This record gives sequence, C-alpha cells and structure tokens, in this order.
Amino acid sequence: MRYLVLVTVAVVIASAVARRRRARVKSSSTTTRRTLELPFVRGSVGIVAAREIRERLRGRMFRVGTLLLLVVVAAAIIIPSLHHGHTSTLRVGVVGALPVNQRAQITRDVHLSGDLATFTTAQTLARASAQLRKGQVDLVIVNDQRVVVDTFATSPQAAVIAQIAQDLGVARALARAQLSPGQLSILEHASGVPITSLHHAHVKPADVGTSIVGLILIFMMLQQYNTWTLIGVMEEKSSRVIEVLLATLRPIQLLTGKVLGIGIIAFAQATLVVGFALMLAKSVGSSLLHGAAPLELVSILAWLLLGYTFYSWVYAAAGSMTERQDQIQAVALPLSVPLIVGYIVSLAAAESGHASLFVRVLAYLPPTAPLAMPALVGLSAVTWWAFAISVAISLLATYGVARFAARVYQRAILRTGARVPLRDALALRPRHRAT
Amino acid sequence: MTNELVVRGLTRHFGTLKALDDLSFDLRAGHVVGFLGPNGAGKTTTMRAIFGLLDLDGGTITWNGRALDAAQRRRFGYMPEERGLYPSMLIGDQLEYLGRLHDMSGHDARTEAQRWLERFGLADRANHKVESLSHGNQQRVQLAAALLHDPELLILDEPLAGLDPSGIDTISEVLVERARRGCGVLFSSHQLDQVENLCESVVIIDHGHLVTSGTVDDLATSGTQRLVVRVEGDRDANWARELRGVTISEVTGGEARLVLDDDVDSDVVLRAAMSAGRVAEFATRRRRLSEVFREATT
Repeated sequence: MRYLVLVTVAVVIASAVARRRRARVKSSSTTTRRTLELPFVRGSVGIVAAREIRERLRGRMFRVGTLLLLVVVAAAIIIPSLHHGHTSTLRVGVVGALPVNQRAQITRDVHLSGDLATFTTAQTLARASAQLRKGQVDLVIVNDQRVVVDTFATSPQAAVIAQIAQDLGVARALARAQLSPGQLSILEHASGVPITSLHHAHVKPADVGTSIVGLILIFMMLQQYNTWTLIGVMEEKSSRVIEVLLATLRPIQLLTGKVLGIGIIAFAQATLVVGFALMLAKSVGSSLLHGAAPLELVSILAWLLLGYTFYSWVYAAAGSMTERQDQIQAVALPLSVPLIVGYIVSLAAAESGHASLFVRVLAYLPPTAPLAMPALVGLSAVTWWAFAISVAISLLATYGVARFAARVYQRAILRTGARVPLRDALALRPRHRAT
Repeated sequence: MTNELVVRGLTRHFGTLKALDDLSFDLRAGHVVGFLGPNGAGKTTTMRAIFGLLDLDGGTITWNGRALDAAQRRRFGYMPEERGLYPSMLIGDQLEYLGRLHDMSGHDARTEAQRWLERFGLADRANHKVESLSHGNQQRVQLAAALLHDPELLILDEPLAGLDPSGIDTISEVLVERARRGCGVLFSSHQLDQVENLCESVVIIDHGHLVTSGTVDDLATSGTQRLVVRVEGDRDANWARELRGVTISEVTGGEARLVLDDDVDSDVVLRAAMSAGRVAEFATRRRRLSEVFREATT
C-alpha cells in the first residue's frame, strides 16, 4: 500500500511541475525567453529538431502520455510485489521444545519456496490453537512431533507444510536410529545429485515479466511517436506553413529535423520510463530486475530507437500525402499492421516461454524486429551475432526506407486537395529547379 | 551592382495545361512592382518557382547575375497566397523560429519579432497562439514573418486580400518603406486601384506569358489616345457618334469619354465638337490601371 501512496505522490508532484512550467511559459515575454539549441546538430536541421522538441514538451498530450506510461510501469512493478509480500512469511507457532537444527531445517524448507519463516512460542496447545483459528499463525508444531493447521486442504502453504512434516518425521527417525555424530553429520550435509537437462533451461519468470512489460512499452511508444510524426507532417501541410518553411530549407532538411526532434523526445521519454522502472523495481525488491532482465532492458531501449528510426520515415511520407484527419485513418491503418502482427506474435512467445519459428523469422524483418527481437532476448533464445545481424538488416532497411520516404515527401508535401496517390508521388519527371 | 531579379523563359506544364509559357521579366531593387493577371494566369506558380517550390520544365531565375541558391533565397521574404503559420504555436516563438530559418541568431530573431509585432499593434499577443487572432491580424503576423530578417527581396502573393482599409494602409506603408530602403518588392493583387496607388511599375501576365510591363505612368499614357469632351446642349454626345475612328466608351452627364484609333488626330475631334456647340471641356485622359489590365488580358 505504501508504494501506491508513493506513486500517487509522484504523479501529483509531476502534474504540479508541469502546471508550473506551463504558467511560466505563458507569463514570460518573447524577449526574455531563451532559444532552445541542440548542441550536437547545427543549421536548419537543428533548428527544426529544436522546435519539435519544444512543442512536444509543451504539449498536454506528451505530459499526460508520459504520466500514463509511468503509472502503467509502476503498476506492473508494484502490484506483483504487493502480491508477493502477502505470502512471503510463514508464521510458525511452537508448543514445547523445537531444537535449533530443526528450526534451521524448517527455515530452509520455507526459503526454498521463496518465503520467510517466523517462529512464535505458545505456552499451551489451546493457546496455539486459538492463534491458529484467528489466523495469527499458519501452523503449530507441538513438541517437534506433531503439526497442526487450521484447514489443511486449503492452506496456501500446503506443500511447504507437508515438507516440514516430512522433515520432522525424518528427524525423529534419525533420533531413533541412534547414529554416531559422524553419521548424523553426513546425513545432515547430504545434498542432491546433479540434474542434467536435455534442453536449455526454462526462462525465469522474472525475465518473462520484463519482456512482456518491455513489449507493451515498445508497442505503445512506437504507436505514439509514429502518430506524432504523421499528424505533425499532415498539420504542416494542411496549415500551409509548409510553403513558408520550404522557401528557406530543403524538404530533406525539414523531414530530418522533424524525425530527429521527435526521436530525441521519444528516446528521452523511454529512458525516463526505464530509469523510473529500474529505481522503482530496486526500491520494492521486484523480481523484474533479476536474471537476464537488465540485458532485456538494454535491448528494449535499443529496439525502440531502431523501430522509431525505421517507422518514422514511413509515417512522415504517409503524412505528406494527406491533409485531413479522415485521410490519416486510410493511410495509418495499413502501416500499423506489421507492428500489430509483430506485437501479438512476440507477446504470445514471451508468455509461452517458447520461441517459435515464426517469431524467430519476424526477428530479422525490419518492420517486426523491434518487437520480435526483444522477445527473443527475453527468452534467451538469440545469440549476440544473430542480434547484431538483425540490427544491421534494420539499419540498412532504414537507409533505403528513408531515401524512398524523402522522395515521396518531396513530391507530395506541396500538393494540396485530394490525397496524393502513391504512384503519383513516385512519378518521375525530368524537370529542373529554377537556377 | 544594383540588386536585380531576372526571370527568363520560365516554362511549366501541369499535365496538358501550360501554366508558364516562356515568361520573362525583371525586378529591380528599390521598386514596388505589381504582379497582375487574371485568375490562373500563373502568378502563384511564378512566385513558387522563384522560391524553388516547384520544378520547372525550362527557364532561369538569377539574382545579381547569379543563379539563385538556397542561401540566397533565405535572404528573400515570402508571403504565400494561402497563409501559412502553425495554428497552435505561440506567435513570438513562431516568428523567432522562422527568423532563425532565415539565418538570424535567436536573440536577433526575438528582438525583430517583438519590434514588428509592436509595429503592427500586436506586441501583447506574442504569447498567444496564432489561431486566436483575427484573419487580418494573422495576415499581419504573416507579413512580419516575411519582414523580420530584413530581406533583400519581398515576394508577396495577394497581401491585401481580405484586409480592411486600415490593414491595407498599414501593409502599403510598410511595402513603400521597404522599397525606399532598397528592397525589391513584387506583389500580386486583384485590387487594381490599390496597385495603381502603391506601385511604380507593373508586370501583367496571362496564360503564363508576359502581356505587358512597365511603369504605371508609361502604361497610363501609352496606347490608344483617350479624350474627355463635353459639348453644351448635347447631353448624349450625339456629335461624336458619326466620327470615323472614334469610339464612345462612356457618357455621363453630357461628358463623353472617347477612345481614338491610332490614325485619328485629336484636332479633328476638337473641330467636330466646336461645330456642334460650345465646348465646355476638352482634355486628354490617362488610362486607369484597370483599363490597362482589361485591354491587356482580353
């Protein structure tokens, strides 16, 4: 519960900061405001990118979207942790003597199931039974010879309690056998024989959880950023500001600046969300950070960036062919099909813990790789060189897509009226610019 | 060297339509030039071509004898026919952004944006969105965007359209002022009376090619001779109806407006009028720009 309070406080603080910032923007004058500069990109591209960043940061949609993502991530981390917290302690009532070595054995049994054990001594069996009925203890051990539970069949720790009863029985048997201390020591330190698996080890639940949360984030963020790009380009065309802009810079500069600006915001937002997830998971001791999860997080960020870079050009070109909201639906839907297919297949693979041939194929196709490859990483079903090959294919495809999109954008962005058919946008005519 | 825009042989087809047909004209710095033509004559296409916004089938455009490039175009100011601003962006930020795209520093762009907003009476609207402004004020902001980088050449497509008299006066004043400071101004308009008052010269095009150009004075006094004659006692100007080579264009209150063929001497007309009665008025008349326009485009 305390974590929910913490998250609520964080959300309230973030909203207050956003409101304050907005009020500051409104009250400041033009002459006192600082120009937003990108230190690493100069010229027209940098100016366009800086405008995109500033306008997105100011937009209510961005602030609400970021808060929503943080809330979703917080819920994904905290809710399982809260659930885990309820079952983490097995409360053992003790009547009479319970030797130290048997307490240690019980603690080990409980720990193997991922829980903790606490011991409470009761003077009489009647008092211990009363505690059991009130739910103050989960079981009672009477003179290390008998185990009493409230309702055996429905006890959530039934398997652990059965193990405890078994171990107490073995301890009694060993005592009756009157073994020498050396023989007893050998038995007490006995360990299981090694187990060899014919298949790779199953993925730990922690990695699966990270993978699923990551896939949901990638899908949501790519949809959001792609929509930004599409609508941003469409609005420049419909408001006719495009003609003023292209009188000062080339279409490829405007397009690159827009893709870069939104990309920076996207990566910053993703980094914020992942950083928030890491801090929160660490503070609540979430299992999301165990095992191969950190590697999975790096993979998620990398593929989010690669996915955005690939899709942003496509959506920008699509935006240049439209100038009304109703036209947007017609072009956006076909473009989102590969993303949706990749998402469904990858999510199914992550949940099943099995990397099918289909998801392995999708991991090498640039439109679906941003979802399928992180899923394979989460399943530990991909080698580093296969990962690198997929990245290389994606980068090469992005280069080709960018060139194609730039040509479509250049030909369609100044054509107003009805939606520009793709074949018209690609039509080549031997013309020259006025020189 | 005087700044000069030279347009030569511009040709552009849209399908089977010839939008520009070997169009040529010059524009010198320090002049306000009206760019006239009927709807669909090719004015907007020409302006777009100057800014490299469309590809041409042929022709050249030079500035100071050199081919136009992107850097040079950034020293021009442009106001397109369909006004273009980000509706939901703050006005001050928008002007600063456009100024920076014209190679201004952030500080200079902000300072000039504020100055022009003050000039247009919009200083208190810098932190408002463009969409909150009236049409006329949006037009003023659009003009500010074209002016704030102190351009060497201003190309304005229908800058007076939709403005009230006060708005027209403000923009006219600014255009004349810029020309006096050495800027070349080319603007299109269908408000020919305003153009006549504002421009020193005009370029008239039709069907994508030049039909006439020159100073407003030269065009007004060139071409067929026009007379205004009033003969007392002849309110319908019947005396002029039988004159060979003379066309009555209008009769108002006994005052006849006559258009003379090239081979007709005005002395012949004067004698005919005197023989009809006492001549109360006899004067040569300049052509109005609207008449020049109509004669050139019909």
